[in-house]
Amino acid sequence: MPDALTVAARANHVLVGVLILAGLAFAAIGAAQNDTFYLRLATEALIFGGLALSVDILLGYTGLLSLGQALYFGLGAYLSALVLKAVPSFWLALAAGLGAGVVLGLVGGIIAIRVRGVYFALITFGLAQVVAKVVYNTRSLGASDGLLGVPIINIDLGLASVSSASPAGFFLVVLAVIIALYAVSAYILDTPFGRLLIALRANDRRVPFLGYRTASLRLSSFVFAAVIATVSGTLYPMLRGFVSPELLFFSTSGNAVITVLLGGVGTLMGALYGSVLLTVLRSLIGTWTEHHLMIIGLLFMGAVIFLPNGLMGLVRPAVERLLMRKARP
Amino acid sequence: MAEVLDYVQFVLAPQVVTGLAFGVAVILVAIGLTIIFGLLDVINMSHGEFYAFGAFAALALGWLGLPFWLLLILVPLAMLPVGYAVERMLIQRVFNRPDRHVTTLLLTFGLGLVLEDAFRLGFGPNPYRPDTPIPGAVELFGIFLPNYRLFLIVVGAVVIAAVALVVYRTRLGAMVRAAAFDRNMAASLGVPVAWVYAGAFAFGISLAGFAGVLLAPIYSVFPTMGRDFILMAFTVVIVGGMGSIAGAVVAGLFLTQVQAIAALYISPVWTDPIVFGIMVVMLMVRPQGLFGRLGHA
Amino acid sequence: MTAPVLEARDLSISFGGLRALDGVSFAAERNRITTIIGPNGAGKSTLFNLISGALRPQSGAVFVEGVECTGAPPDRMLAAGVARSFQITNLLFDLPVAENLRLAAQMLERPRKYWLPISLSRIARARVAELLERFGLAHKAGLAVAQLSHGEQRRLEVAVALAGKPKVLMLDEPTQGMSHGDTEDTAVLIRSLAAEVTVLLIEHDIGLVMNLSDHVIVMHQGRKLAEGTPASVRANTAVQTAYFGHA
Repeated sequence: MPDALTVAARANHVLVGVLILAGLAFAAIGAAQNDTFYLRLATEALIFGGLALSVDILLGYTGLLSLGQALYFGLGAYLSALVLKAVPSFWLALAAGLGAGVVLGLVGGIIAIRVRGVYFALITFGLAQVVAKVVYNTRSLGASDGLLGVPIINIDLGLASVSSASPAGFFLVVLAVIIALYAVSAYILDTPFGRLLIALRANDRRVPFLGYRTASLRLSSFVFAAVIATVSGTLYPMLRGFVSPELLFFSTSGNAVITVLLGGVGTLMGALYGSVLLTVLRSLIGTWTEHHLMIIGLLFMGAVIFLPNGLMGLVRPAVERLLMRKARP
Repeated sequence: MAEVLDYVQFVLAPQVVTGLAFGVAVILVAIGLTIIFGLLDVINMSHGEFYAFGAFAALALGWLGLPFWLLLILVPLAMLPVGYAVERMLIQRVFNRPDRHVTTLLLTFGLGLVLEDAFRLGFGPNPYRPDTPIPGAVELFGIFLPNYRLFLIVVGAVVIAAVALVVYRTRLGAMVRAAAFDRNMAASLGVPVAWVYAGAFAFGISLAGFAGVLLAPIYSVFPTMGRDFILMAFTVVIVGGMGSIAGAVVAGLFLTQVQAIAALYISPVWTDPIVFGIMVVMLMVRPQGLFGRLGHA
Repeated sequence: MTAPVLEARDLSISFGGLRALDGVSFAAERNRITTIIGPNGAGKSTLFNLISGALRPQSGAVFVEGVECTGAPPDRMLAAGVARSFQITNLLFDLPVAENLRLAAQMLERPRKYWLPISLSRIARARVAELLERFGLAHKAGLAVAQLSHGEQRRLEVAVALAGKPKVLMLDEPTQGMSHGDTEDTAVLIRSLAAEVTVLLIEHDIGLVMNLSDHVIVMHQGRKLAEGTPASVRANTAVQTAYFGHA
């Protein structure tokens, strides 16, 4: 009988396939219609989906609620903007984000990892608040206006070249990057190391008696999540041409947490589908009223109370059942 | 020598007083937060928004012509049923889940967002500055001290002392501490635990609202004021010890004075990192804070 | 004579004013079942905690096959070959039974294969299948631990401790809360384990202790009161006084 965790992983494969196909179709239709707005919106949804992925790795797998992941995302975005203004290279910006993610993750992790639960949430919250405030007040980083004038870049993919100005083209690039981040995360979570993170969430007091150091496991998880967030952040200035301190504010971290909860905690796919869902909701609600925050907040509270497993909680069991039926005709 | 005296008289003393006024309000908010945590084991992420709630309510009622002293009594009282309703209708729904800590944190976080946007809906995003209810200043030993701040310090201190008295010296307080210490035991001894929980939450947010009314004329009223305030409140609670009122008082005084005096020498931007740094160090060195839990006080 | 598999010398620890353990020494010989008994509060679980790395002793030493391991954290004690089960079931309740076992068995893989897919950890997965058979849990392998009966969970505790092929298996009241039938089955199981591991047992069920043990250690108020064969301990007047208040 296949392991329950592996069946869940396989259901995720199906869902990822659906997402990729939908993305390709969306890009094709958008390109045909010369659309810019919706493609850019979808691209942004994917980028923030990467941030949500980072939150889910910590919350849904390691069992740690971070209320400050925007710190890594925002700093990744700022770094990317600085790199691109000097050298307009996609790969360099991405690489810088990767390296920064490791360093920032280690620094932030060493501070935060000593505590758990509520204290962890508060430390991550506080850390993000403090750094956000410093960035907001730093003139060389553009202070409250942020960094503007990030150039349009040409992304060299070997066989072809895509411009970041091309709505459909860049959408596909971002889709590829985010799916790659997802794939790496999914792979790692199906290894003994990843399963240990899951064990930490299930009962962290038992883990040392299974032969492992919880501190180093949590730190590794934290660095991993930080890298995912930072790399996602590097994509932002390529899309919008600027970065601003809002990217580091609590609202960004908070939105990521909401995304994960609405999508489904501990599913990885929930982060991505959740981001799409939230973006759609926000534009829809935004057409009636300015106060989408309140409505999203109410939806969120409703989800916490009534639908704790989020969207994936509804969709994935159905997919899993389909898979099990195919395995045993 | 004269320069030192001058410095004390014109720079240091007023700053200390400002710090005290802020400190008293922070302590009120922190006490509410720590009671809610000490009793319900709930991290109220919307606590800052209830602080804002008090300020906005005072603003609105003030426009209707109600005098300040009446607001000071009415707003906190009016917030009690609000808090009671929130606890019974929202928090209780997720209270018995195994992952209660995370769920209540998320739930109150959502509530905070809703409240913040509600303020924006009702009052707009721009700050309001209610008039100082007690204008002017008094001269004490050659130091000019604003009347309102002195009033704030006195009123706040009285309320804090009253709360401490009730919690540590009365039968009601004993019941509350018993319920914090061991819920089931307290219930079997006849303590109405459900009422105690709802009442504690209501009282906690009411204290925050009271602080909001007090500080509104000094720091203005705007939708995100709760978010800015909450980090300091949480820091006080953590440094003082989750669940400890004495801790909230000591840590509150200490941290606000550190912030006030630091602001004399360094840019205000850097006072936040200092406060946060103290919280982090405390969590790393002595996670239970200075004084530990309410039930064990 | 070779060193005993596990040896404790003069272990002591105090909690505040309470001297929980006071100079306790004993040795567990290879492939024997050594049982620790004693009234509540005697310090049995504290002794386990000191040896397994959950607590650091304030004085004394612990040796595994002659090598000193005093104060090593749980993960290093496990690497040295000392595994323990818990009196209050301490498993990963939301995860499947098989996953609990696999996590414990992963250490058998050489190389450890942390970063390769689970499906490649064949040794660990084989061990899981073997343990599921042996402990009668194969039909529940995919269920979450929380869905098992109390007796099954206690059995799983033992299985998880055994998964990494330890040298010393420390079982803290494995039959706690079990029905009579389950207790008998568990006794048979423990007896069969003695062939491959050295068993150190804490137990309250005197019948079980007498039938199962090769060697009994009696603790009382933090000290070792007596030790010897089950029969000799039973006849010991000091032990009788400690348990019953009179000889």
